[in-house]
Amino acid sequence: MDLAKYRTLFLEEARDHLGELGGALLALEKNPGNGEAIDLAFRMAHSIKGMAGSLGYDSITEVAHLLEDRMDAARASGRVDPVEGLPVLFRGLDGLELMVNAVADTGDAPPPNPELVGILTGDSVPVAEEAPAEPAPGVAPAAPEAPAAPRPAAAASVRVRTETLDRFLSAVGEVILTSRQARTAAHREGRATPSALGFDRMDRVVGELQRRALSLRTAPLLRVMEPLPRLARDVGRRTGKRVEVELRGAELELDRSILDRVGDPLVHLVRNAIDHGVEPPAERRERGKAELGRLVVDARREKDSIRISVSDDGAGIDLDAVRARAVDAGLVHEGLAEDLPPDEVAALVFRPGLSTKPEVSDISGRGVGMDAVKATIESLGGRVELESRPGLGTTTSLVVPITAAVQRVLLAGVREETVAIPISKVERIVEVEAQGIERSGRESFALIDDEPVLVLDLARRLGLEPFSDDGQAPLVIAEVRGERVALRVERLAGQQEIYVKPVPRLLASSRALAGLTVLGDGSPVFALDVNQLL
Amino acid sequence: MRVLVADDASFMRQMIRDIIEPEGYEVVGEASDGVEVTEKFKELEPDLVMLDIVMPKRSGMDAVRELVALDSGAKIVMCSALGQEALVMEAMQAGARDFIVKPFKPDAVLATLKKVMEKE
Repeated sequence: MDLAKYRTLFLEEARDHLGELGGALLALEKNPGNGEAIDLAFRMAHSIKGMAGSLGYDSITEVAHLLEDRMDAARASGRVDPVEGLPVLFRGLDGLELMVNAVADTGDAPPPNPELVGILTGDSVPVAEEAPAEPAPGVAPAAPEAPAAPRPAAAASVRVRTETLDRFLSAVGEVILTSRQARTAAHREGRATPSALGFDRMDRVVGELQRRALSLRTAPLLRVMEPLPRLARDVGRRTGKRVEVELRGAELELDRSILDRVGDPLVHLVRNAIDHGVEPPAERRERGKAELGRLVVDARREKDSIRISVSDDGAGIDLDAVRARAVDAGLVHEGLAEDLPPDEVAALVFRPGLSTKPEVSDISGRGVGMDAVKATIESLGGRVELESRPGLGTTTSLVVPITAAVQRVLLAGVREETVAIPISKVERIVEVEAQGIERSGRESFALIDDEPVLVLDLARRLGLEPFSDDGQAPLVIAEVRGERVALRVERLAGQQEIYVKPVPRLLASSRALAGLTVLGDGSPVFALDVNQLL
Repeated sequence: MRVLVADDASFMRQMIRDIIEPEGYEVVGEASDGVEVTEKFKELEPDLVMLDIVMPKRSGMDAVRELVALDSGAKIVMCSALGQEALVMEAMQAGARDFIVKPFKPDAVLATLKKVMEKE
């Protein structure tokens, strides 16, 4: 048996199932007699049991089996016990998630967890959660039966391994690039020749092929949005706040490689919204708001992008606190902070080292701030927007491209190489005297608009021979993780849309190289991930 | 031998495929719920159906009755898990020919299919 193949299938499907199971439990929290949700939870536990059993993951099989038993009993009685039964089911779900993640990390299921088994068999009582549970916790998706409702039907679908798909896409990429090269060559002989016109036609057909091929890699946002209501419930309990979450547009599709990377940022935004945005119930009452806070995670299509916004109806960003923190962190001079307009103050939350609450967020066990959210989204060719109204709430939007592979770039020559810098990062291009670049210790600065800007010598960064101190130095002014920096290049070679292929592993010694492509004339180009330069 | 495989987990469908296809069985279709299996059964007219008991929309149990009503000669093998003995017996009474138990053991699966196909 090809274990690796089944493990991949298992992980993919088990995670889908756990997502559905979580949705069903939330629906049961709202209505313990929701028959559809009981049925769904039963089936998901049963199915996970069957898969885990086939792979010899005994600890997972056992826990799934106990959950299935509990759901079977609920099927018989028509409801779950919201006070004693439901927390046990959530514990079982959490346990399964941990075990499935362990399979992903270690390749095998962890040893059995007697405590969890004890709780599920009813031999021991679950340890109470940190915050006292309210009788009817307010966190639940707004659409009443949404989690238990059937997912969009996968009409006559086949499951293809991501690896196979990537190889296919890579081949399509080759076709696109080769046809572009042929077209460039044909145009050299004249634009109206039969072969040039033929290649123009081919270019259109290949463009269509590319669009269709890229759409194969897409998956619905549901995958990353589905866990959010439950996350909100947990964070709400821990912080003593009550929040209701509504998901919209979860059926929209995104490239998987992008989808996988918007998950963590969304988790962070939801945590932030509850932690920093939504007020405690008493405070909300005083302000004449409903005690139940409201969070809307809304996804919508905008041309070639998808905008995912997380909106809360909380207090809005505390600008004075942000100002004070920015001054403390040395990001802004005290005298200057006073005069900063509100939107610029709000934008400070994206700067590294600024958190309006002193503690470090525990998402995925590492400190992740808004600056990391911004860097992640931008490395995907997207952007983050923030809108906050005092007393009314905050909306943070992630705007990401639907497909990862095609990017508009500025081409720049560095020694014998050509690098591609995403246009979205480029502010403008200036040329200065190389001698005017000031050295201070190991760093160099150039005066741009009377302001010293850090100069990064791309030749040095890419391990090539550094530039000399003579002649003109073209500088690409770009924004890197909130900082304005000048990328020193040798020459500029225009703009272009490129199809970026992942860098071959051997070449990926520099983290700043995000991908590789071949231009119409056959020359290779490295795509730069500017966020990795600092 | 043309086989229709019905299970809500694609993992399980793949596993069955990998067990039976090298032995000369042809999986002509897959269904992921109890309604789809009936549709595919009508459309593909398979020689044999491997049917999971627990499925969305309509249970494997109801699907057995439906398939037998459509074709009293339908050869159906139930895919069950431990602890579902009562359901398996019910399915056999409703017209299923045999059953296999998850986790699947390739030899047992193949032996069961052979037995069912030989009992013409």
